[in-house]
Amino acid sequence: MKNKITCFLFAFVLLLTSVLCIFFPEDEFSESERRVLASFPEISGETILSGDFSKGFEEYATDRFPFRDFFRSVKTYTSEYVFQKSDNNGLILQNGHLTRLDYPLVTDMQDLAANKFSYLYEKFIKGKTDKIYLSIVPDKNYYMDTLKYDYEKLVGKMREGMPYARYIDLFPTLSLSDYYTTDSHWKQECITDAAQTIASEMNVKIDAKYTVNTYPEPFYGVYSGQSLIKVPPDTIKYLTNDILNGCKVLDYNSGMAKPSFMYHMEKAKGKDMYELFLGGNSPLITIENPAAKEVRELVIFRDSFASSLTPLLVPGYSKITLVDIRYIMSDFVGGFVNFEDADVLFLYSTSLLNASTAFK
Amino acid sequence: MLFSSIPFLYYFLPLVLILYFISPRKLRNSVLLLSSLVFYAWGEPKYVFLMAISILVGYVLGLLIEKYNQNKKLSRLFLILSIVFSLGSLAYFKYADFFIENFNAATGLAIPLLHVALPIGISFYTFQLLSYTIDVYRGEVKAQKNIINLAAYISMFPQLIAGPIVRYSDVEKSLSTRRESFDMAAEGIRLFILGLGKKILLANQLGELCEIFKASTDKSVAFFWLYAIAFSLHIYFDFSGYSDMARGLGKIFGFDFMENFNYPYISKSVTEFWRRWHISLGTWFRDYVYIPLGGNRVKPLRHILNILIVWMLTGFWHGAEWTFIAWGLFFAVLLALEKFFIGDFLKKSRIISRFYTLIAVLLSFVVFNAANLNEGFSYIGGMFGSGDFPLVSNEFFYYFKSFLPILAIAILGATPLPKKLVLSLEKKPFTKRISDIFEPLVLLILLFIMTAYLVDGSFNPFLYFRF
Repeated sequence: MKNKITCFLFAFVLLLTSVLCIFFPEDEFSESERRVLASFPEISGETILSGDFSKGFEEYATDRFPFRDFFRSVKTYTSEYVFQKSDNNGLILQNGHLTRLDYPLVTDMQDLAANKFSYLYEKFIKGKTDKIYLSIVPDKNYYMDTLKYDYEKLVGKMREGMPYARYIDLFPTLSLSDYYTTDSHWKQECITDAAQTIASEMNVKIDAKYTVNTYPEPFYGVYSGQSLIKVPPDTIKYLTNDILNGCKVLDYNSGMAKPSFMYHMEKAKGKDMYELFLGGNSPLITIENPAAKEVRELVIFRDSFASSLTPLLVPGYSKITLVDIRYIMSDFVGGFVNFEDADVLFLYSTSLLNASTAFK
Repeated sequence: MLFSSIPFLYYFLPLVLILYFISPRKLRNSVLLLSSLVFYAWGEPKYVFLMAISILVGYVLGLLIEKYNQNKKLSRLFLILSIVFSLGSLAYFKYADFFIENFNAATGLAIPLLHVALPIGISFYTFQLLSYTIDVYRGEVKAQKNIINLAAYISMFPQLIAGPIVRYSDVEKSLSTRRESFDMAAEGIRLFILGLGKKILLANQLGELCEIFKASTDKSVAFFWLYAIAFSLHIYFDFSGYSDMARGLGKIFGFDFMENFNYPYISKSVTEFWRRWHISLGTWFRDYVYIPLGGNRVKPLRHILNILIVWMLTGFWHGAEWTFIAWGLFFAVLLALEKFFIGDFLKKSRIISRFYTLIAVLLSFVVFNAANLNEGFSYIGGMFGSGDFPLVSNEFFYYFKSFLPILAIAILGATPLPKKLVLSLEKKPFTKRISDIFEPLVLLILLFIMTAYLVDGSFNPFLYFRF
């Protein structure tokens, strides 16, 4: 009897799953993974003989498996609670914080980044200003008890590669609670000290009072979808005041200057709520502050961490230009940015400096 | 196509099972053959023709060997032709570049390499064909008159790409007169799911640890040992898991393939280890190489030579690299030592013998998995403190903690204890009743979890594909 039950159950499950796979594949876009899933491959004599069809079909069948997120979460929970793995696909859950293992240190990446920055310095900045700063944002692993590389070495490599820049140390001003629990980024409401540290080093006053606003929807950060472990969502808070409200923000994402916002409510409704800050990634953004007490410009070469920090530096400048050389060719930067007597800040996270192949 | 993949589990297998069981009995071998060809062509569309030609040649030569069995010369000629063809194709597709490289290195010439892709499973099906024609020549089996039956045997997808190396004599009757049953199928399902579990839940994760070690820039003595243990367990669960899946699928279709692994890591000697590890390969070399060379019924020096030849070939069968030859010869030396010197001592001891065997096997697998001999020896050196590596490192601590439960489960699973526990439970009526009720459920839960791992993961390579 047991054997018959085993056979029928096995056959039933196999057939049912098979029918589900064929007739009810998952949607093409995975919200949790923030990526397009594989499509059914092209069938032709050539693709079959070359093996491309079978490879494509395997990707399709695995990617578009029905209830994909549910199965992925079953795997995550098994890995976390049955096998007690410290990380699942590199994702770590520790004391309510999700993070991604970033290891080991790839020193070539810092060389690559420092060379790129030095190229920008030599080509566009040298001789126009000597107020050049480097600041590095530690990823939150630095404050967690996990496998981590030698952060001092990373900082040392960058400082060594950029002797023309004065280093501003943010490591002591931050702590784990300054980061979202489900995302890699820092919280704007917690980094006023970091902004103050940068401002003091650059000798600019940014004293200002802010109103703390809360975005009404819960924030499920990038790790939340990747991990699928149920961690309470974060809340996005953003700081405003009259100075920020009066600024003129232009975004050059489409190649032309288009009016934009300090806090982009429409973008926040998209796939990544962190895009609320300055509308997310863009090759070039300018912020003009008509309330500035003096004419003083700041150019920030940056990654996404700067999106939430920059508004806090606005009170000290009449104009801030944000340049992201992951989205604009370095050679074109001079055509858009005025470096004459400007403060220049290279503000990058350790995550990017350890994987800096994206610079153009 | 891998057994441990979504396309196999939820597209290919259900379709084949339906076609197989709705077909009349006389067509079932044809269904098996066709599905096996599709299975093979899925990964190797081009080489399906090579396999078809090999089968055709084996079929014709098998018939000719039998037809002229009264004329020994002619019969032997056909056997030699069969051996030359089988070993020739193996030599060309698997070993040509190895020979050219070494010839170039020895002579200083620069003969260009052929860069021929290795057809999947060629080592397995070639050995099956060889055993078939040799057995026909020896008169141990009758030549198969029906080419579909022979082709179904050689290409049968459950054992096509990773064994076990099924002898024709073992399935000769089943090919024409087998009876599928619920009992066999249920046993097959159990074997298949447990094999899949070995592969996905243990082997793949241990393989991940091995990859992490290889990429590590923070190696330490302890990490080298962790790697050696992890790889030894990885290869065991990978290969034995695949063999279990093959045997399980075979049973569903009414075949009874031989057991390929029998808890090798509890062996008290290397000799015993090889009676428990990849049994179908060991017995193949014993029956078709070692015994024809004279086996142990010769003078001691010749006996040692026989051991060296067989184990060098066993190593070489695994791949066209010096690491595999060194691996085989390492075992040859240990086997010879055991036969002539320490065998009796090992039989008497319980702990030292097991410790010695485990260390020997661990070291052998470090060389086995090395990219080259230098890497293999440097890893072994690292295990014993050479190379200025620290005793422990941060990475070691992190990954040891992370993989400790999996390692513990794997070590326990490599012993017969879990099986003994289940068998003892089944002896008592009450616990047997509970096990009868829950077993199908447990199997389903396992399948469910493994599906989750497949959906989530991309780390699913199968080691024995390259053999």
